[in-house]
Amino acid sequence: MKYELTDDQASVLAGLDQLLAGVDTDPPIEPVVFEYAAALDQTLAESGFLDIAREEGFSPLDAALIVERLARLPQVVEAAASAIVAPALGVPAGTRPVALLSGPLTKAARYLPMAQVLLADRGDHALAIKVEPDNVETVETLFAYPYGRLKRVEGLEQTRIDDVATLRRRWRIALAAEAAGCMASAIDTILEHVKTRQAFGQPLGAFQAIQHRLAMAAETAESTKYLAFRAAWSDSESDAAIAAGFAQTRTAQLAYDLHQFAGAMSLTLEFPLHLWTYRLRALAGELGGGSQQARAAALATWGDAA
Amino acid sequence: MSSSIETFRQEARAWLAANVPTEPPPEDGPASREFTLAWQRRQAQGGWAGINWPKELGGRGLSVMEQIVWFEEYARAGAPTPLNATFVGLNHAGPTLYACGTEAQKAEHLPKILGGETIWCQGFSEPGSGSDLGSLKTRGEVQGDQIVINGQKTWSSFADIADVQELLIRTDPTARTSQALSWVICPMDTPGITVRPIRTMAGVLKYCEVFYDDVRIPLENCVGGIGNGWATAMSTLSFERGTAALALLIGVTLHVEKLLADCPADRPQMRARLARLRAEGASIRAMNYRVALDSENSVPDATGSMVRLAFAEFSQRVSAAAIDLYGLDAPETIGAHGWAHDYLDAFSETIAGGAAEIQRNIIGERVLGLPKGPK
Repeated sequence: MKYELTDDQASVLAGLDQLLAGVDTDPPIEPVVFEYAAALDQTLAESGFLDIAREEGFSPLDAALIVERLARLPQVVEAAASAIVAPALGVPAGTRPVALLSGPLTKAARYLPMAQVLLADRGDHALAIKVEPDNVETVETLFAYPYGRLKRVEGLEQTRIDDVATLRRRWRIALAAEAAGCMASAIDTILEHVKTRQAFGQPLGAFQAIQHRLAMAAETAESTKYLAFRAAWSDSESDAAIAAGFAQTRTAQLAYDLHQFAGAMSLTLEFPLHLWTYRLRALAGELGGGSQQARAAALATWGDAA
Repeated sequence: MSSSIETFRQEARAWLAANVPTEPPPEDGPASREFTLAWQRRQAQGGWAGINWPKELGGRGLSVMEQIVWFEEYARAGAPTPLNATFVGLNHAGPTLYACGTEAQKAEHLPKILGGETIWCQGFSEPGSGSDLGSLKTRGEVQGDQIVINGQKTWSSFADIADVQELLIRTDPTARTSQALSWVICPMDTPGITVRPIRTMAGVLKYCEVFYDDVRIPLENCVGGIGNGWATAMSTLSFERGTAALALLIGVTLHVEKLLADCPADRPQMRARLARLRAEGASIRAMNYRVALDSENSVPDATGSMVRLAFAEFSQRVSAAAIDLYGLDAPETIGAHGWAHDYLDAFSETIAGGAAEIQRNIIGERVLGLPKGPK
């Protein structure tokens, strides 16, 4: 894997940035339960960016680059499952938003209230379930994403997918790419704060105790990003599990440090850090959390001996 | 344990079993005030408020050991969280008045705090002065027998429903911090005070900004003497860092027991994580008991910062583990009193009452005797 963008990748990201330049990206403040960015969703769907992995000459890595960039936005919009997961499982282009689920079918899934298709990990196989809007119950949580659960599981219009490993692998890649974007935005929010906020006669960012921990936070975000991109490039089980697991296990320390640096301001809805705290916590809990990814990485690397 | 302590425990347990409210406490607004004061009044009427406060001030006059036993039984009974609108009065203002106030100030305010008649809030932090508390700018000008206050405070929990504020102001703009500040009792219905609640990321309106526009309070409301506010405020914060969170800590350790009980046998990594939290909780509890017993009848020393820091980070780890145990959408997680709320609310534990970084500075400089770093 080369760590330089190709000309095609650079022009795709430039095109995406141009598209997003026309979008209102002021962070929402109220209400606590965030609304889905339906207008942005439509703009993205029409632009074709989310179908890039389906195009000749492009790959999941190009999709991961786009997902990471979109995850930096304060708006809540489903992109990762559409761009990275669905193309590998035979979901037709345009059948989105896509929700992902592991565990019981009645468990809550991100984006289910607006999803057209639910991809469910059923252990030894996967299901692609057509989502009927009147069969979805909204679940209110404090974790920023819209969640919903199926009201009934009988009589679902569903297609069996034998390759459940691909669902898990691509989900892990998607999760890591999203986490990388969230981490980058969270750090940007705090960098601005510690450069301008004064305490004890100097900017907060001048204190080594803060510099060192911010440097570690930056290392976490950069590592997450490149692990996600590597996993998207190799599309391998072990890389995917390592990328997702790294992101999930590092989230707690990163969130803790960034909140400390902004103090009580960071606890309010008037300071945007909470957006990333909510999202990173939700991502940290998916697919069984970091310890499950560590187990999956060990199995993928060393097999049953692990 | 002596038989008298055991008798005390059984009495406390029986009273709590019969009196703990069954309805969940409202988290903010007037309903929170009504609920919290009613619960405090019920405890006072039952003889269970101020276990180790002096009898002449409305307390029971018992030892710290009885106070600890009360905290243990309180948590065991699932009584309303002590981190409510009465927290500042019972754990900050009350002990500070007891340690530094005049007899008239004690007589006026302490029985009302214990008896569930008044709610106090804190006015220390400002928009430009948090951890750097000594840089606060809210001005208090002594004019005859009054102090005229102008400025702004923030992060004042429950200021929107409080009767009184423990307020730290700058009364001498030319002096060093140690002689420049004053700790005053500020009635919240004084003309010129405006309160703006702030919604937190946990969804509640708990913190407030407070604005002061020519607010006039009697000079006799000063506690500890004009210009001696820094020392008085350090006493206030020492109480928070010493014993104030003990009931909370015991409650969190009991939550860990519940999490362990709910953890399925086929999740060995989660069981190991919870077991580590159980050990961590036990160690902090032991440290906190030691600090509480050592500081009987005195202001807790800097070792209280070790308890404060350890408890704050412990409570965050417990909330995070609970969400991972139950899942993001579980009934235990979502809702007004779920673990998601507690997880987000717990971020404040390492910021309020002296951020974790300040606690570490205190431990380094005052407990370990390290040279002071640049400030």
